[in-house]
Amino acid sequence: MADEITQEIFQHLVDLAALELDAEEAEYLLKELNGQLKAVRELEAIDVDSNIETTSHGVPYTEKIRPALREDRIEAFGNPEAIMEQAPDVEDNYLVVPVIPHTELE
Amino acid sequence: MKQSLSDMPAHVLARAIRNGEYSAEEVLDAAINRIRAVEGRQPSLEQYELQPDDRDKVHAFITLTEERARKQAQKVDRKVAEGKDPGKLAGVPFSVKDIFCVQDTPSTAASRILANFSSPYTATPVQRLETAGGLNVGKVNLDEFTYGSSNESSAFQPPVGNPWDPSRVPGGSSGGSAASVAAGECALSLGTDTAGSIRQPAGFCGVVGMKPTYGRVSRYGLIAFASSLDCPGPVARDVTDAALMLEVIAGADRHDATAAVLDVPEYTAGLERGVKGKRIGLSDDYFMVKYPDPETGELVEQPIQPEIRERVLHAADRLADAGAEIVEQIPMPHTHYGIPVYFVISRVEAASNLHRYDGVKYGYRHPGQVEELAELYRKSRGEGFGLQPKLRILMGMYVSAAQYEKNYYQQALRARTLIRSDFDKIYDPEGEYRLDCLLTATTPTTAFEIGQVYGDSVLMQYADLLTVPANHAGIPGISVPAGFDSNGLPIGIQFLGHDFDEQTLLQTGRAFELATENEDWRQVKPAVLRGLS
Amino acid sequence: MTEYEAVIGLETHIQLNTNSKIFCSCKADSWDDPPNTNICPVCTGLPGVLPVLNRKVVEKAVLLAAAMHAEKIAPVSYMDRKNYFYPDLPKGYQISQYDRSVAKGGYLDVPMPDGEMRRVGIHKLHIEEDAGKTVRQRDCRWIDFNRCGVPLIEMVTEPDLRSADEAAQYLIRLRQLLRWIGVSEADMERGQLRCDGNVSIREKGTAVLNTKTEIKNVNSIENLRDAIAAEIERQIRTVEAGEEVKPWTLDWDDNTSTLRKMRSKETEADYRYFREPDLLPVVLDDSWREEILKDLPELPLERRQRFMDEYDLPQYDAEILTEDRSRSEYYEKTVEAFGGDPKAVSNWMMNDVLRMMREIGKGADELQLKPDFLASIIKAVVDKKITSNTGKKLLEKVEQSGRNPEEIIEEEGLAQVSDDSALRPVVETILAANPEQVDAYRNGKETLIGWFVGQVMRESRGKANPQLVKQILEEMLNSE
Repeated sequence: MADEITQEIFQHLVDLAALELDAEEAEYLLKELNGQLKAVRELEAIDVDSNIETTSHGVPYTEKIRPALREDRIEAFGNPEAIMEQAPDVEDNYLVVPVIPHTELE
Repeated sequence: MKQSLSDMPAHVLARAIRNGEYSAEEVLDAAINRIRAVEGRQPSLEQYELQPDDRDKVHAFITLTEERARKQAQKVDRKVAEGKDPGKLAGVPFSVKDIFCVQDTPSTAASRILANFSSPYTATPVQRLETAGGLNVGKVNLDEFTYGSSNESSAFQPPVGNPWDPSRVPGGSSGGSAASVAAGECALSLGTDTAGSIRQPAGFCGVVGMKPTYGRVSRYGLIAFASSLDCPGPVARDVTDAALMLEVIAGADRHDATAAVLDVPEYTAGLERGVKGKRIGLSDDYFMVKYPDPETGELVEQPIQPEIRERVLHAADRLADAGAEIVEQIPMPHTHYGIPVYFVISRVEAASNLHRYDGVKYGYRHPGQVEELAELYRKSRGEGFGLQPKLRILMGMYVSAAQYEKNYYQQALRARTLIRSDFDKIYDPEGEYRLDCLLTATTPTTAFEIGQVYGDSVLMQYADLLTVPANHAGIPGISVPAGFDSNGLPIGIQFLGHDFDEQTLLQTGRAFELATENEDWRQVKPAVLRGLS
Repeated sequence: MTEYEAVIGLETHIQLNTNSKIFCSCKADSWDDPPNTNICPVCTGLPGVLPVLNRKVVEKAVLLAAAMHAEKIAPVSYMDRKNYFYPDLPKGYQISQYDRSVAKGGYLDVPMPDGEMRRVGIHKLHIEEDAGKTVRQRDCRWIDFNRCGVPLIEMVTEPDLRSADEAAQYLIRLRQLLRWIGVSEADMERGQLRCDGNVSIREKGTAVLNTKTEIKNVNSIENLRDAIAAEIERQIRTVEAGEEVKPWTLDWDDNTSTLRKMRSKETEADYRYFREPDLLPVVLDDSWREEILKDLPELPLERRQRFMDEYDLPQYDAEILTEDRSRSEYYEKTVEAFGGDPKAVSNWMMNDVLRMMREIGKGADELQLKPDFLASIIKAVVDKKITSNTGKKLLEKVEQSGRNPEEIIEEEGLAQVSDDSALRPVVETILAANPEQVDAYRNGKETLIGWFVGQVMRESRGKANPQLVKQILEEMLNSE
């Protein structure tokens, strides 16, 4: 069976995923991906147009067990500093990131 | 010979502490001693070089939290002295799979990308264990972001060793959980099961591991892999302990919109109800591994390891003797979809769940200069993620991309419905089979050698073939030890049950324990413990 | 010379005025707060967190959908993940609604300055969460997560608008409606109502939809009008020069009043939508739906029409009186309490009351001058119990003190003197004291009547009934 993901598609996926890979990693991953897709081929046997329902969870959430939505009450976390402490680059309590280029309109 | 405190079951320990027979600090000290004896060197991010000691030791813990545990132990002892209720799990040492956030503790997901992350909050299930008096001794190792079935893909090396033979894998992804409990480093562990990641390592390590019904235990604080499949659950040395731990962690949580609003039964009560009149099924579909040949694409079948099959049948006999009705040849025709569906659905969710690791808010950030933001993302994620997360991300991107989505993601969702329908049919009280539970093997093979299978993800994935259908269907499952193979490696058997009917599974597991109480294999100890005084 | 028409659609993001954010319990409004202080693990996308949907968000969305005459309000709607990388989006995905949103279809009728009513179709209405804010620095960007997780409703119109003015009118009416039904404060300068415009042009009379550009980052209705007008011009120039309009995303810089081309946020617009697995479907059963919709009030234009019909008011008056809901309710309560000609109430309100409100910066629902009190004052003037000047002064006195005007009239003796016998002597006194003016009047300078009235009013410290005074003066001056 031919490999489904080509080098081109693979590179596109890597870009989409915001990853940077070295040559060895790329080789391994491409091989694994195509191998796994062969296993996934099984799914083709299922009739695409069938009326089989799809749900977001295996367990049916009946009205009885479904949690109610949250009441609109304010409850402060109380420790935003602890969250900011985890940030790698902070200035004036803002998180700092590099620029995203803009281009001017002629 | 007096049983070490470290080998006592949690329910015995808790009762003894409440009665003042032992102090929680004593119990903690015993745990720390055991850890020192069997752990070996602490796993780290450093370049891994196999050392002579490594294949003799367990290496379950990424981070030990002795101080935290000691404070908790002192609190328990104080309460006992004051005549106050110290909690259901008073003084019971437990470990936490490092996929859960624990406040002020490194919460790493076994990944470089979170190696320096100290969580500002604690996951709900951990909170409940601590509130019940448990002693949180530390964070145990796992496959990076839970992606794997052997614990080999952690960024923290050396990998966890199977206490029965540390040159072999403990299973995964909750390898550290299963190993730390099997080695007596703690009495309980909090793991997670997304495709069998509690049950499979429990099987490999000869302990009890349970995947509760999806939604039975809150996922708040569980670093997400596949949000619609992840289930936190107990790992313990016997069924009673698993029941006790489940009592403590289960139940609704206002921080989790998918945690079912349903009373938590007292699982420990009525555990010895027995299996009289229970209908327990056996399915041929669970005695084989069915998968598409990589060359031809045709479905091929391979039977599971014969010794494992023998243990399952032996269990069926013992349960029949105890009064259960064994119903054979239960059809579970969609079982083989389990892995392909899992490859698709879990990857789509995982890729999305991993978007947040970008070096901006927490965790690893590429240290050098960058020209622009996109470069920061690429380098931070490229350097921070191991191969297995990258694999899942890329697969997830592919099968959910607009042009392929219909063929993959939507198809997988339909197949999931079909898998669920297999269970609906066999459990239907008006149906042909009317089963109370299904009895299967937990894994197709016993523990393989470290390094043997790793790298070939397809074969690694088929290790989950017998466990993953329960994740898709959402139903609960439990793996209990049932013997050993000729290499002395543990074999687990699995019971799969109705939605939110953990009760039946625990009772059945307990009945099996009682029915095989006197069997020789129950006397064997893990290799790492045999040298200890 | 080809005639072009503009084809404009608007995408608005409406910040809901709930107490807390959409998926966590941080407060929703933190406009004035220091950066990264209104945050929690959930809205900053920490590992392991989960969203929990705020009930009020659904309620306000349903209310708005009904007010926009939605074609369908879904009994079950779904939340979806929209995946992309951006630093102000902590989870790397936005929880939004893709194909099964809260409502579909609908319209808003917008009266245009030329008198025509333009019906602007609504394509879709859905719930989503807000992202954080980025502050551009010279060589980097600063991120503030305070705003992450604020509940938004995104509403997309059909491309039914034809000019920058129409677009502005739509926003004005939308803002009025949002405040009217209480789902948003809709203050554009505080980012509570944000608007992106999609603009294309075509030859007049054709029905094609040509390539459109997107205008972002306009923070006022005026700026939107200017930006759209500028873009229409630019597109026309482009086409006339024989070039193609490209599907750019444009940024409006209000310092220089120019459009700048932006590089797209994400190189790919493949968001890979899938159902949010951490949330259950949003179920709107009949009883909940009824409960929400019972709070749906008469809408602004409906009320404006009713005022015209019921109170016989001209459109101009009705428009002003229904500019906001509390003002319209205030007007009606006053009319009810007054029991007389609604136009009288309208006059008082449109002139003096509104002026006072503007001066003291209060809304109709904040006034101490309650509708009953206003009605009393108007009645007292109409009944000639007090002069209209006194009445106007009373407005302020009541507003400052909060006291019943009748009490003040009583206490300060403000009642108008309309007793003929009390006034005659005063008039006589004035006439006697000013013989030259009397002669002048009798010799033809009839305008002096005003001066005489003024004198009498001064003499009586403003209490005399001026009409009666005038009558008496005329009688006396014209006799002999």
